[in-house]
Amino acid sequence: MEVVIASSPVDAGIGCWDLHSGAEQLRYRSCTSTPHGLACVGQRFLASSQLRDSSSSSGSILYWSWSKPQVEVKSFPAEPIHPLVSNSDGMYIIGGGSSGAIYFWEVASGRLLKRWHAHYRAVTCLFLSDDESLLVSGAEDGCIRVWSLFMVFDDIGMEMAKNPYEYSFSEHTLRVTDMVSGYGGCNAIIVSASEDRTCKVWSLSRGKLLRSIDFPSIIEAVALDPGEHVFYAGARDGKIYIASINAETTSSNSYGKHIIGTLSDNSKGVTCLAFSKDGILLVSGSEDGTIRVWDAKTHNIVRIYRLAKGPVNNVLVVRRPLYSNRQTSENSHSSFSRRHAPLLPPPLGKYVNSTDENVDSGAVSVPQTPSSDIMDAPYLSYHVLTKQISELQVFFIFLS
Amino acid sequence: MARSKPSSSKKQPKRGVDFKKIKRKIGRKLPPPKNATNTEIKSKAIILPEQSVASERAGLAVSKKGLTLKELLQQTSHHNAKVRRDALTGIRDLVLKYPAELTLHKLAIIEKLRERISDEDKVVRETLYQLLKLVIFPALKKDVPGSLISLMMAYIFNGMTHLATDIRLMAFKFFDLVVQHYPSSFFMYAEKVLQNYEDILRKNHIYLQDRSKLKNALVGLVRCLSLLPCNRRTVDPSYGKNTETQGSLHAYELEVPKEHTDFSSIIKRLEDILPILVNCFQDFIPLVHPMSSLDAQSFDCMLYLLRSIDLSVKFFLYGIDKHQTDFGVTKPTYNEKDMPVWGEIATPVFLRKFLEVFPLNQLHNTSGKDEDKFFILNIEITEIFLHSNEWIFTSAILMERFLEFIENLLSGKIRFNSRSGKALQEKHLTSLLPFIPRLVSLVANTWKSRLLQAFTMAFKDCKPESTLNLAFLSAIEEMLLPSKRQGILLLDASEPEILDHQITWIRELPVLLVRLGDTLSSLSKVILHLLLRLGQYAPMNSSLAWEYDIMQHTLGEFYSMCLDDGSILYGPFMKLPKDCQELSVCCLYYFSSLDSLLLRSLVYCCLCDNLEPSVLFRIIDVLHSAYKIGHLQLVDLISFFVTLVARWKVLPGRLYTHVENAKKISNRETFKAITGAVCSCLRQMGDDALIFQIVQRVILDEIPLNPPIDNLCGMLRLLVILDSRPTKLSEQSIIILSNSISEYLIDAASYIPENGDEVTDSNQISICQYYLVPCFFLFDRSDKLLNLVLDLMGSSIGEDNSSLACNHDTQHTLDLSSRIVAVVSILLYMHQDIKIRRRLSSCKGEITRILQKMRLQVYTP
Repeated sequence: MEVVIASSPVDAGIGCWDLHSGAEQLRYRSCTSTPHGLACVGQRFLASSQLRDSSSSSGSILYWSWSKPQVEVKSFPAEPIHPLVSNSDGMYIIGGGSSGAIYFWEVASGRLLKRWHAHYRAVTCLFLSDDESLLVSGAEDGCIRVWSLFMVFDDIGMEMAKNPYEYSFSEHTLRVTDMVSGYGGCNAIIVSASEDRTCKVWSLSRGKLLRSIDFPSIIEAVALDPGEHVFYAGARDGKIYIASINAETTSSNSYGKHIIGTLSDNSKGVTCLAFSKDGILLVSGSEDGTIRVWDAKTHNIVRIYRLAKGPVNNVLVVRRPLYSNRQTSENSHSSFSRRHAPLLPPPLGKYVNSTDENVDSGAVSVPQTPSSDIMDAPYLSYHVLTKQISELQVFFIFLS
Repeated sequence: MARSKPSSSKKQPKRGVDFKKIKRKIGRKLPPPKNATNTEIKSKAIILPEQSVASERAGLAVSKKGLTLKELLQQTSHHNAKVRRDALTGIRDLVLKYPAELTLHKLAIIEKLRERISDEDKVVRETLYQLLKLVIFPALKKDVPGSLISLMMAYIFNGMTHLATDIRLMAFKFFDLVVQHYPSSFFMYAEKVLQNYEDILRKNHIYLQDRSKLKNALVGLVRCLSLLPCNRRTVDPSYGKNTETQGSLHAYELEVPKEHTDFSSIIKRLEDILPILVNCFQDFIPLVHPMSSLDAQSFDCMLYLLRSIDLSVKFFLYGIDKHQTDFGVTKPTYNEKDMPVWGEIATPVFLRKFLEVFPLNQLHNTSGKDEDKFFILNIEITEIFLHSNEWIFTSAILMERFLEFIENLLSGKIRFNSRSGKALQEKHLTSLLPFIPRLVSLVANTWKSRLLQAFTMAFKDCKPESTLNLAFLSAIEEMLLPSKRQGILLLDASEPEILDHQITWIRELPVLLVRLGDTLSSLSKVILHLLLRLGQYAPMNSSLAWEYDIMQHTLGEFYSMCLDDGSILYGPFMKLPKDCQELSVCCLYYFSSLDSLLLRSLVYCCLCDNLEPSVLFRIIDVLHSAYKIGHLQLVDLISFFVTLVARWKVLPGRLYTHVENAKKISNRETFKAITGAVCSCLRQMGDDALIFQIVQRVILDEIPLNPPIDNLCGMLRLLVILDSRPTKLSEQSIIILSNSISEYLIDAASYIPENGDEVTDSNQISICQYYLVPCFFLFDRSDKLLNLVLDLMGSSIGEDNSSLACNHDTQHTLDLSSRIVAVVSILLYMHQDIKIRRRLSSCKGEITRILQKMRLQVYTP
C-alpha cells in the first residue's frame, strides 16, 4: 500500500493517507518535526527528529510503529538533529546536527557508529544516492558536500586523503533548502535549491556545476521527474515551477530561463514535494497545512488532504506493508511476526563508544522485517547476521 | 675482304668487255641523283620582344616588377643573393596585393621559401623572416595543415644543425616564429627542439660575444617552455564564471581528451637542459661583478635564462602535483626518492648551488638604472626559489637571505628608481604575493611574524585602485579561510599574533570597500565574496566569527549614512552593479546578530527610489531567512518591515491622466508587491498574536506622522492580515486608528466612481477597492471602530461650524462641500457592501447625526 505521510512543525502528529484511495490511516501523535526530519526506516517504522526549544542542548528522535499512534521509542542525541535519512533496508539512520556534524547510527543496536564534522554551520538536508554509496549533505552556509560512505569509515584513508569529502560545492550563497538526486548512483545529477533563489544542477561524476536556474521566489523544495526531463521546484510564493533539464528552451519566458511552466492554485508557500513511485503523482505540502496531490501529466489537483492549521514541512510517499493481508494468507508466518512485530529497536546512542566492540549481541534487538528481503541486503552487520541465524534455528526447532 | 680487293682489280682487264664495269671506290658516297628533291629544312630561332607575352599576363597576378608568382619563386633559388632578396620582396608585394594567390598556392610557396631558411646570406634570411612574420603567417592563421608546418620544420632542423653560427641562431628564431603562431607545433617537435637548444647552450662561450643572437634564441626557449603545463596560480578566483548554457544536460557530449602529449620525453630533455641553463647563467656572473654597469644585452640574456629556469622548475612541480593527485594521496613531499618520475632527483643539487648566488650585486653601488636591473634579476631568482622551495632543503642562511629580501620588498625598503618603477614593482609583487601564505605557514615563528608584519603593512598602504589588491585579497583569503583544495587552515588562528593580523585584515576590508566606492566593481565583488566566505566558514563562536559580527558597524557606511543634519548619504551599495548588491545582501545573513544600526542604514537604502525592486525583495527575503535561524531580533525585523511600508515613497499621480504616468503606475504596483511580501513574511513567523501586538505598537508609532494614503493603506493591510475576528486591537489603538481612518476614508472617497451606471475606468474601481477593503475588514471586526469613525466623520463636518464665523472665504466653503460629498459617497459605498450594511444598521444613531450636521451645514449660510 502506497501511503503519503506528512508531518508539521506544530504538534499535529504524523498524518498518513492512502495515496490511491485517499483514505486517512492512523494518525501518529505528538510529533513536531524539523524540516527533512521525517523518515520511514526500512518500511518498518517511522522516525522523526523533533524541534526543541533552543534552550535544551540535546535533540530528540522519536519512533512510531505502523500499528500504534503513540510514540514508542525516544532517543536523545547529543545535539538537536535537523535532517534525518535512513537507507532503503533500514539498517542505518543518518542525522545532521545543528553544529554541522553528521551522525551515523546502526538501527538494530542503536549504536552511534560514527560522528564526523561535516559543515561549518547546521546541516539542513541529507540524502543518499540511489545506490546508497554516497551521502550528500547541504548546510546553512550554502555548502553542499558529497561523502563516500566507504571513505567515511576508513579512518586511515581519511587521514591520508586531502579532503574527507568527495566534493564540496560552495556556489550557493545562502542556506540550502532541499536537494534531490537522479538515477545512476555516482554518475547521477543532483538538483539543489537554496534561499538565494536559485536551483543548481550538479554532476556527481564530474563534480561540477552544470546549470544554475534563477527563480522568481525562494525555492523550498525540489522533486525530480523520474525521466529526468524536468524538475519541480516548490516556491515560497505558492507556485510549483517546472524547470527543464533535458530540453532546449528559449530564453524568452515569463518566469525566466529554463522555467517552462508552473503548477499553481494560489495557495501559500510550498514547503515540501515528493513523487509517488509511479512518477505520475506529485505530492506537495504547503504552509497552510494542506497536502495536495497533483497529476504531473495533466497539471491538475487530484486530491487535497488536511493535516493541521500550521504549516506542513515533510511529506513522504512510502510503501507500507500490509499486515492484515499477511495474517489471513500465511498463518504460520503471521503468528510469528505478530509476536515480534511491535518490537522496535532500542534508542539511538548518544556518543561513539569505541570500547563496546566486544559487547555480545544478546542486548541487541533485531529489526523485524515483514518480508525476508533484508537477507540479501548488501551490508549486514555481524550482530544482525548472528541473531538471525539463531532465530532461524529456533524456528526450525519449533517446526520439528 | 681486304685481300680479295687487289686480286679482283687485277683480273678484270683480262676478260672480255661485255659489261662496262663501273669502278667504285669503297667508302665513297654516291652523289645524289640529279632529280632528287631537296628535303632539307632550315630554320632560325625567332626572339620575340617582351610585349607579346605581356598581353598573356593581363589576367595574372604580378608583382610591382611585373613578375608572376612562378617566376618569383624560381628566382628565390637564384645564385645571386640580391636577386633572391628581390624575389622575396616581390612575393611580399604580390601576396599583399592578391591574398587569394597565397591561399591557392600556399603549399608551393612554403615549399620554395623553406629552402631559404638556411640561406647563406644574412639579408635574405632576414627578409624571409619578415615575410613570414608579417605576411604569410598572419594570413594563413586560420587554415594551416600540419603538413605545412612539417614542411618548414625539416628545413628549420636542418638550419639548427648548420655549421654557420648565424644560420643556426636564425633557425631558432624561425622556430620561435612558428611556435608563436601555432603553439601546438612545439609539442610535436619538443624533444628534437630541446635537444638543439641544449646543444647550442652547451657551446654558449662561442656566442657570448654575440649576445643579441643568443637572446633571440632564448626568447624562443622561454616561449616554448611557457607552453608547458604548470600549476597556474590565478590571482582571480574562479567564482562568478558563467556556466555554459547548453540546452540539454543529458545530451551526448563530444569530448576530446586535452592531455594529448606524452611528457616523459620532454621531461628527460628538460632534465638535461636545466643544468646547462644554470651553467650558462653562472657564466654571466663573472661578467657582472667586475663591471661597473651591466649592458642591456647581457641583462636580457640573464633575465631570459632565469625565466627559462623558472618555467622548467614550474613544470617539474606540476608533474609532482599531478603525480600526487593521480593517486589521491599526499605523499610526504620531502622524501624525494618516493617519487621516481618527473626527474627531481638530480635537479636540487645544482639548483641549490645556483641559488647560492642569490643577492646579486650586493655591494655595488652603481647608478639607479642598474640597480633596477639587479632588482629584477633578484626577484626572478626569488621566484625560482619560492617555486622550488617545496622540494629543496635550503640552508638556513640562504633562507634568511631570501626571506629578508621578501620582507624588504613587501615593506617597500627596496624600491625602483626609474620612473616606470612603480608599475614594475607592482607587477613583481603580484607575482610574489601568491607565495606568501605557504611561506608564512612553513617558516619559523620569528620570520612568520616579520613576514606577516610586512604583509599587513603593505596591504594597508596599498591604494584602493591598485591592481595589487586582487593579489592581496586572494592571499588573505588563503590565510583566513580553510583552503578549497585541502580543507584545512593554513594558519593557526589560536596564536594571538596571527589572530591580530587576521583581525587587522578583516577590519580593513569594509574600509577598503567604502573607499573604493563604485569605481572598481570587479574588485568590490572580490571583497564582498571574501566577506561572504568569511561569514560562511568562520568557525562558530570563534574570534573570527566575532570579528565578522563586529564588522557590521563599519559596514553600515557601505549602505548609507545618516548625517547630523538629517540628510542621508548613500554609500557605494547603491551604485554598484546588481551582482555585487546581491552578494552584499547575502553577507547580512551570516551576522550572528544583526545590529539595528545596520538595519537602519539598510532601510534608508530600501527607501531610496534608485534601488531596484528586485534587490529590495532580496533584502526582505534574506532578512526573513536570517530571522528564521535566529540571527535577527523579532522586534527589529518587524520595525524594519513596518518602516518600509510606512515610508516607501509611492509617487502620487492619478492613474487615468497621462501616458507618461505609466512609470508611476508601476511604482504603485511595486508598493503593492512589497506589502504582499511583507505580509507573507509576517504570516510565516509563527505566533500571530504576539506578532500582532508588536506590529500594532510599531504602526501606532508611525500613524501620528500622517503617512500618505498609500502607506497608510499598506499598514492597515498588515494589521488586517494578522488580526482575527473579533479584533485584537486594544481600546487605545482603536481610538488612534479611528482618527486616521476617518481622514483616510475621506481621502479615499475621491477614488469612488461618481456614478454607478456610468461606464468607469476599471482601474479606478480596483484602486478604490484596494484602499477601502482593509477598512471594511476592520469595521467588520470591530463595531466600536466603525462607531468612532462615523462619529469623527460627522464632527469633521460639524467642527467647521464653529470656525465658520471667522472664516468666510469661498475656499473654505468649497472645501467643506467637497468634504460633505466625500462622506456621502463613502456612506453609499459602504452601503453597497453586504457585510458592512449589516454593521451599519447597528449605528443608525451616528448616521442620523451626520445627516443632521450636513443639513445644518447646508442650510446655515
